[in-house]
Amino acid sequence: MKALGSIGKSIKRSEDKRFLTGQGKYVDDINLPNQVYAAFLRSPYAHAIINRIDTSGALGSPGVSLVVTGTDWLKENYGPLPCTSRINTFVGGEKMKVPPRHCLAIDRVRFVGEIVAMVVAETKPSALHAVELIEVDYEELEVVTDPEEALKPGAPQIWDDIPNNLCLDFELGDRIKTAAAFDSAHYIISRKIKNNRVAGVPIEPRGAIANYDDDTKRLTLFNSSQNIHENRDAYAIDVLKIEKEKLHHVAPDIGGGFGVKNGTYPEPPLILHAAKKLCRPVKWVADRSESFLSDTQGRGQVSTVSLALTKEGKFLGLRVETVGNLGAYCGTIGPFTPTAGTARTQGGPYGFASIYYYAKVVFTNTAIMAPYRGAGRPEAAFQLERIIEETARELDFDPIELRKKNLIQAKTLPLRTAMGLDIDSGNFVEVFDQALSLTDRTGFSARASAATRRGKLYGFAIAPYLECTGGGSKEFAGITVRDDNKIELSVGSHSTGTGHETSFAQLLSGYLGIGVDSIVFFQGDTDRTPFGGGHGGSRGMEVGGSAVYEAASTFIKKGRLLAAYILGVENSRLQFSNGVFFVSGTDKSVTSEDLIAQSAGSEVINGEFGYGYLNVSATFEREIMSIPNGCHACEVEVDPETGGINIVNYWAVDDFGTIVNGMLTDGQVMGAVAQGIGQALMEESVYADSGQLMTGSLIDYALPRAFDVPNIRIQYYEEAPTKKNPLGVKGAGEAGCVAAPHVVFNAIADALRNFNIESLDMPLTSEKIWRTIHRR
Amino acid sequence: MTRVSLEVNGKKTSIDIPDNTLLSTFLREHLNLKGTHIGCDTSQCGACVVIVNGKTVKSCTMLALQAAGSRVETVESLCDDGKLHPMQRAFHEYHALQCGFCTPGMLMTAVALAKKGKEIDELSVRTELEGNLCRCTGYQNIVAAILAGAKKMRTQT
Repeated sequence: MKALGSIGKSIKRSEDKRFLTGQGKYVDDINLPNQVYAAFLRSPYAHAIINRIDTSGALGSPGVSLVVTGTDWLKENYGPLPCTSRINTFVGGEKMKVPPRHCLAIDRVRFVGEIVAMVVAETKPSALHAVELIEVDYEELEVVTDPEEALKPGAPQIWDDIPNNLCLDFELGDRIKTAAAFDSAHYIISRKIKNNRVAGVPIEPRGAIANYDDDTKRLTLFNSSQNIHENRDAYAIDVLKIEKEKLHHVAPDIGGGFGVKNGTYPEPPLILHAAKKLCRPVKWVADRSESFLSDTQGRGQVSTVSLALTKEGKFLGLRVETVGNLGAYCGTIGPFTPTAGTARTQGGPYGFASIYYYAKVVFTNTAIMAPYRGAGRPEAAFQLERIIEETARELDFDPIELRKKNLIQAKTLPLRTAMGLDIDSGNFVEVFDQALSLTDRTGFSARASAATRRGKLYGFAIAPYLECTGGGSKEFAGITVRDDNKIELSVGSHSTGTGHETSFAQLLSGYLGIGVDSIVFFQGDTDRTPFGGGHGGSRGMEVGGSAVYEAASTFIKKGRLLAAYILGVENSRLQFSNGVFFVSGTDKSVTSEDLIAQSAGSEVINGEFGYGYLNVSATFEREIMSIPNGCHACEVEVDPETGGINIVNYWAVDDFGTIVNGMLTDGQVMGAVAQGIGQALMEESVYADSGQLMTGSLIDYALPRAFDVPNIRIQYYEEAPTKKNPLGVKGAGEAGCVAAPHVVFNAIADALRNFNIESLDMPLTSEKIWRTIHRR
Repeated sequence: MTRVSLEVNGKKTSIDIPDNTLLSTFLREHLNLKGTHIGCDTSQCGACVVIVNGKTVKSCTMLALQAAGSRVETVESLCDDGKLHPMQRAFHEYHALQCGFCTPGMLMTAVALAKKGKEIDELSVRTELEGNLCRCTGYQNIVAAILAGAKKMRTQT
C-alpha cells in the first residue's frame, strides 16, 4: 500500500487549539456532580512498624465520610498491585522475590510517602484537615537507602523473608567467552560508574476521579494514565477482584508522562473502593510534593564497567556489573529496567565479539523505581561511552578515531549483537560522519581559543548510541464510518503530548487519500478501544502507526469490493491509487471519500454488504524491536570561577527510519535531549540516610529551565528504514535521553582534561565542577 | 467568607469566597476558568501565570482577595471571537507545545513580555522564561515561537 504525499510532511497539530485556548481537559479539569475528595496520610518514616492507628479524630472531623487503613483494606479481601516484569527468574532458576504491594501499608511502612490511611471528605481542605487528625504510633526501624549498602551483611532487612534485600539477579551474554576476551586483551580499563536517580516530573501531577454506577454496578475511573488497558486489568482483576469489564478506564488529556504514568499506583484502587462504598464520585489530584514522594522514579544504578581491547584499540570484550535500586516494593515492571532494560543495548553500535552483563536488583527504603524515558538504554549508553572516553584519555587514543574504528560496518548487516538484538538496517559509520561534519571540527580551535581568551575552559565530545524500541508489542486501531461522512480513527495507545491526534490521522489520510479534516481521532477509553499497549518504549508510531496501517489496508480491501459493486465491475479489475479505486483505461472510478459518503447511512449498501460494512478493527503485532540509532555531539564552556557550564553547541543526527512528521520528531528529540541534559547537569533525587527525601519540591529538585538548554541542530539519516514494521519507522521518543547524558558529561570531561575528574558523577552541578577545579 | 469583586477577562465579577482562597483556585473552581493550571505547590512551575493589572503573576502566590479591584487576564482572554491571538498562532506554527499543560502560563508570560515593547532576542527570552517550566519541548520551539509571536504583535499594533 503506497501512501499519499501527506506522510513525511510536518503537518501542524490538530490538538493544539484546545491547549492554546485553555480548553484542554486534564483530570483536574473534570468535576462530577456530588463529588467528594480523597486525601492520604503518608508515612513520615522510611522504615517503621505501625503499632496502632487511631482514626477517631478524623472520623469525627466535619465533612468526613470515610477513613480507610491497611487493616480495613485487608478485610475487603483486595489483592496487591501486581508486578508483571517478564524478567522474573534468578540466574540460579529461583523465582523473583515479589513482596505484596498493597494499596495501604499493612502494619509496617517501608518508604517516606507510603500511604498509611485514606480520608474522604466533602471538600479537599476538610479531607486534608482530617488527615492531620489521624494518630499513628510508629516504632522506627533501621533504614537503608543505598542499594550497595542494602546488599551488605547486617544491612537492615526491608522484607523479613527476602534475604539481603535481593529481589532478583540477572545475566545476559557469554560470561566465559567474555572472560577469555579479557584474558587475551592488551589493555583492560575499569571504572565504577553511577547513573543518578531522577524523577520524571511531568508538569501535570497525577490525579484521578472514581465513579460508581449502582444501576450497572460499573466503576469508571478518569485517570492520568499513559497505559489504560494494563492499568485497568491490574486494578480490576488483581486488586479489586472484579471483571475487567466492570471497570471503565478513561484517560483524558495527559500533561506529560515520561514513564511516570505508565505503571500502577495505589491511589486509583483506593478511590474506586471509596466511590463504591459511598456511591459518590471521589476525586484526588496530587500536590507536587506528594508527586515527588509517591511517583515512581528512574535510573539509580551503580555499575562496574570494564572494557578489554587490543594494543591497537580494537574492542574485544565488555563486562558490566550493575546494582539497581528498586525502591521498597516491586513497581509494575520495576525489576525490568536494571536487568534486561539495561542489558539489551550493551555494546552499542560497536562490534563486540563478547559482552557479559550481570545485575542485582535491590530493595531499599525509598520510593518505587520504574522505567523512566529510556528505561535502561540511557544507563547502558552512559556506561559504555564513559568507559570508552576514559579509555581514550588513559591510553591516549583519539576518542573520535577509537570510536570510529570499532563501529559495526554496514556491510555486515543484518546481524545479531552479542546481547541478542537483531539489527536489520542502519549505517553507523555514515551516521557518525554526518554528525562529525555537522560539528564543524575545523572551526573548533578558533571557538576554543576564543573561550580561553575569555578565561573559560572548552570541551567537545561526540558519541554514537544504539536504541531498541517498540515497547508493548501489540496495538489496536479501529475505523468507524459515521453518518456525517467523517471517519473515526481510534488507537489503543495514548498520547501524553506526543501528537497522536495529528500523526495517526496523517497516516490514515495518506493511505486512504482522504482529508485530515474528515478524520476524528479517539484514544484513552477502554470502552472504545478493546486493547492497547500504552505509551512506552517509543512505541507510538512504530506499533500504533503500524496498527493504523493495518486498519487502512483492511479498509481498502473491503472498499475494493464496495467500489466494484458501485461501479458495476469485477473487483479483480480494480486498482487503488492516490485515494481512487479505478479501472485502468476507463473512466470508471470512485474515490475513498465517495465510498464513505455513499455508504454512510445508505440502506441499499447496508442491505447488500451489512450495516457498518466499512468499519474496521485491526491489530498490529511486531515481532522484534526496531533499532534506532544516531550520533550526538556537543561543545561546552566551563567557567572555572563559578563551575558554571554552558552548552554552546549541541548537534544530533538520528536514524529513526521513515520520518512521518519531522516537526513532531524534532519535538521529541529536543524534549528528550533536554531531559538528558537535565540528568547530566542538575537532576537528582536525593535521600538522606534517614530515608527522608531531600528533593521533595521543585525548589530542591532542579529541572532544566529555558536558559539551561541550548538550541539543538537536528538532522535525520533517512536511508535505512527498518523492515520490521510496514512503515519503516524506528521509535523516536526516547533517543535523546539515551544520547545526551554521556555526550554532555564527556564534553565537560574534555574541558576539564587537566584536572582529576575520577570522583565526578552526574549530576555535574557547578559546585562539583568548582570543587574539582579548585581541589576543594 | 468575604466578597471579592474584580474584573476577569473583561467581565466584572463579585463572589463570596473563603478568605484563604488562592487566585489560582478562585479562577479554576469559582469561575470555572480551567486554562490556568496547577503544576506545583512552591510557585516554581509557572503553569498558573496570569496577568494582573498588566503584570505577570503566578496565581498560586496570591490570594484572590489580594486581587480585589484588579484587572485579571487569563489564557481564556487571548482568543478573540474564535480567532487565535498572534502569540497562540506562533506557538501552533512553531510546535511550541506538546502536552499543553505548561502552555497557558507560557503564553501569558510571552504576551506580557511582548507587550513591554522592548527589543527581545533569544537570550532575553530564555532569561524571561525563568519562572516557567516545560518538561516536553526542551524550550527551543517555545523561544522561537515567542520571538515570532512578539514580532507579529508589534507589526499588528
